[in-house]
Amino acid sequence: MQRFLDPNVLAGISSLDLLAKTVVDGFVAGLHRSPDFGFSQEFAEYRPYVPGDDLRHVDWNLFARTERCYLKRYRGETNSQLTVLLDASNSMQYTSGPPTKMDYARYIAASLFYLAIHNQRDAAGLIVFDNEVREYIRPSTRPGQLARLFAGLERAEPQALTDFAKPLKHFQNFLHRRGIVILISDFYEEPETIVRASAPLRFHGNEVVLFHILDPQEVRPVLRGSALLVDLETDRRIEVIPEYAKTTYRTRIDAHIEQLRSRAQTAGMDYQLLLTSQPLDTALREYLSLRQAGN
Amino acid sequence: MGFLAPWFLAGLVALGVPVFVHLLRRHRATPRPVSSLMFFERGAQSSTRHRRLRYLLLFALRCALVLLVVLAFANPFVKRTAAELNSRLLLMVLDTSFSMRAGTRFADAKQQALRLLARKPAAQKVEIMGLGGQLDVRTQAINDDTQLRAALESLEPGDGHANFGELGHAIRSLAETVRGPMELHLFSDMQRTAMPANLADAVLPNNVELVLHPVANGAAPGNWTVESVEAPTVLSEPKDPRQSRVRAVVAGFGTPSATKTVSLLVNGKTIATRQVNVPASGRVTVEFAPLDVGYGFNRCEVQIEGRDAFPADDASFFAVRRSDPERVLFVHPADDTRSALYFGSALSAGTKGSFVLQSVTAEQARDLDPSKYAFVVLSDAVMLPPIFERTLRQDVARGGRVLIALGTAAAHHARIPLWDSEVKDARDYARAGGTATVGQVDFSYPALEQAQPGRDNGGWAEVKIFYAAVLEEAGARVAARLADGTPLLLDKQVGEGDVVLLASGLENLTNDLPLHPIFVVFVDRTARYLSGSERLSGSQVVDSFVQLRGVAEPAGAVGSVEVTDPQGHRPLSLSEARTRESFRLERAGFYQIRFANGRDAVIGVNPDRRESDLAAMAQEMQNLWSGSSGSGAPHSAGAEAARVKSRSSSLWWYVMLLLLVVALAEAALASGYLGTQREEA
Repeated sequence: MQRFLDPNVLAGISSLDLLAKTVVDGFVAGLHRSPDFGFSQEFAEYRPYVPGDDLRHVDWNLFARTERCYLKRYRGETNSQLTVLLDASNSMQYTSGPPTKMDYARYIAASLFYLAIHNQRDAAGLIVFDNEVREYIRPSTRPGQLARLFAGLERAEPQALTDFAKPLKHFQNFLHRRGIVILISDFYEEPETIVRASAPLRFHGNEVVLFHILDPQEVRPVLRGSALLVDLETDRRIEVIPEYAKTTYRTRIDAHIEQLRSRAQTAGMDYQLLLTSQPLDTALREYLSLRQAGN
Repeated sequence: MGFLAPWFLAGLVALGVPVFVHLLRRHRATPRPVSSLMFFERGAQSSTRHRRLRYLLLFALRCALVLLVVLAFANPFVKRTAAELNSRLLLMVLDTSFSMRAGTRFADAKQQALRLLARKPAAQKVEIMGLGGQLDVRTQAINDDTQLRAALESLEPGDGHANFGELGHAIRSLAETVRGPMELHLFSDMQRTAMPANLADAVLPNNVELVLHPVANGAAPGNWTVESVEAPTVLSEPKDPRQSRVRAVVAGFGTPSATKTVSLLVNGKTIATRQVNVPASGRVTVEFAPLDVGYGFNRCEVQIEGRDAFPADDASFFAVRRSDPERVLFVHPADDTRSALYFGSALSAGTKGSFVLQSVTAEQARDLDPSKYAFVVLSDAVMLPPIFERTLRQDVARGGRVLIALGTAAAHHARIPLWDSEVKDARDYARAGGTATVGQVDFSYPALEQAQPGRDNGGWAEVKIFYAAVLEEAGARVAARLADGTPLLLDKQVGEGDVVLLASGLENLTNDLPLHPIFVVFVDRTARYLSGSERLSGSQVVDSFVQLRGVAEPAGAVGSVEVTDPQGHRPLSLSEARTRESFRLERAGFYQIRFANGRDAVIGVNPDRRESDLAAMAQEMQNLWSGSSGSGAPHSAGAEAARVKSRSSSLWWYVMLLLLVVALAEAALASGYLGTQREEA
């Protein structure tokens, strides 16, 4: 089943619905648990009855034996809210080979949505942004929500520049309930700026995860001779020689990644570097671990 | 500067390849999109300029590579001026052989040599040599014109025979020590007979360029000469017509049929004259008999009257010594009478009465004085009276000569008189049921000398040996061996004298040699060799050597020698007279010699008759030798001057070396660049 998590294989699937199902089913099967029962059917704990609780959840067998009233709780009932913030700036369309960073981000988002709504029965929402908020789908568990989210992902085409401050500030207005916020971007911005813009999300009690999507060529670029590089967002051009890409560039991108990871952790956020050549389970595993930690 | 193959310069269009690769293609680099230039700084620009400098260096190297390849094919050359040729050693060889006396040949050659000397660059070093019977180096490699001119002026024609093979050999030896380029200018009449039979002998080394300056142009003039004279060296009986006669061969080279008058002169007086018809370019024999001469040495001369193109070779000199027959002491065992019979008969027949054999038994020899005999023969006489043996040993030390023949008695007496080694073994081939044959014969040995031995091993092939003694051959010259390697004839010098040893007997019991005609020849030549009469008179060829004293004797221990040349001069200094072992007969005429053992000799010396054939070698042969087969005619003086002043020198090797260096540099630079790329990958 591992091949269903391979980005190269997934690039051949055009339907996000099918893609997400493939990924999630493949991922769950890899956990050695039956997808039919689901996590929501699993017993979690007993809780003393308090007035106002739904009597349908009282464990009457226990009451008969002990004459005490307890509610039986399941994992599926610990609902969470997943909100994915997807960077759709021009830099996300870079690729050294399929898939593009944008597609890879879509795969992750779609898989997360499928896992959250179909398997965990969590509410899931989507915000697509560049230097503005271009699309907002409110988190919900209503029927058809998954289709709406996939449609939103389909419409998210890279354009314009990246600006974290403005869309994140705007996003805070939509957050009324604590949950998991996943920010998917290539983060071509100063780490300080990124963390400062996303830290307020944490203040509301959200679990914030930064998924840093990069192409392998962006981490270890290979230049065969001097090349004229064009910035996809600004269209600025610069001539670069292989020696620079081999030495200075690598040092700087490594420092950038490390600085971003460090500052994110300092601010109480999780950070995950995802290369477009990596399988998708890393992202799903991160989501599940956060969800469990939040219950 | 020019190019030997200028059409290859069209290959310079290939220079466009590196130009395209480095300059044109680089500017058409397609822009490469990246997510962000956030981590690419302006610093990359200066780095690019640095790289560009390296690319330009690589570009220059590649252009140079293409350029040098094209140049290598085009084969550039430079015209080197005379100043650049100063390093070339100039060898000027003037032919001083006998034939150069003909006409104005030598004067012409000397004039040409002087003209070349005047033209040469002042700093160029020259070595002057004369080519006569041997190569005569007159100067070292110097550039002093005065000395060089004086050396050239001092050269005079000699009586020797030039041999271009010896010239080639000498120059090859010189080239082993002088590594630089040399130019050999040969001023000669280019006689056909001077060229060796094998052209390879005359070929010069690669660093020597031969330039011929022939002085005898056109057809060779007709020339008659006395080609050879057959006359007795020792005359004991003038009335004997078998012995007392002179036979001369008159030859014509390039001559018409003519009647010539030939005279025989003895001590300056004409004693006989003959008229002969010499056929066109042919030979005729003239005989003068009897030869009536007085006692002692007589200087004889056969002369052609009437001048021709080359008068210097119209006479042939020889010396005849009139004396009574010399006695030979033949010592044999008492029971052996056959050996004396065979040897005496052969001696009488071979020497025509010049020797008288005195045959005695070993016991009878007790009171005899060996010094009164021409030589002594010990035929199987291994047991000599001690007093005779001592006397004989003293005589040999003073110059006496002995022939020892070992019969069957030698096997029973290990010690051989006068021969300082013992009999190691005795091989009785007859007892083993077979015979031994004579295998190796040294025909240069005087007692076995034959100019052109026949296929029957010079007559020795039929000789059967039944018995032979085996001796230690150390210190002796082995003149003949049996087929199984056993020494048959040995020669050992003892003091001033000689001991010749025949490992078999002189009768027909130990071998059948006395029954073969070669025995007479062998006895005749052995007698002449041992008596020394051969070298006391007769004739020799110019540049032959005369042995003045025995080599075994310490120099000066016996006495000094005395040599008087044909001009009456004494060519040896006092110190040389006490030390010289041999003397080269350089001039034609009569040499008077007193040897170290006190014996006198008069020898007539004649030029090599090959010098009388004045015909020059074919032009094709000259071209072949000088390595200029393309040129039809010899170099004229003007052309030669132009050639000396300006010469093409190919730069191909230099271009190839430079190409190699540039290729290595390009490979190093390019591989460094590619190495960076691989690491990145």
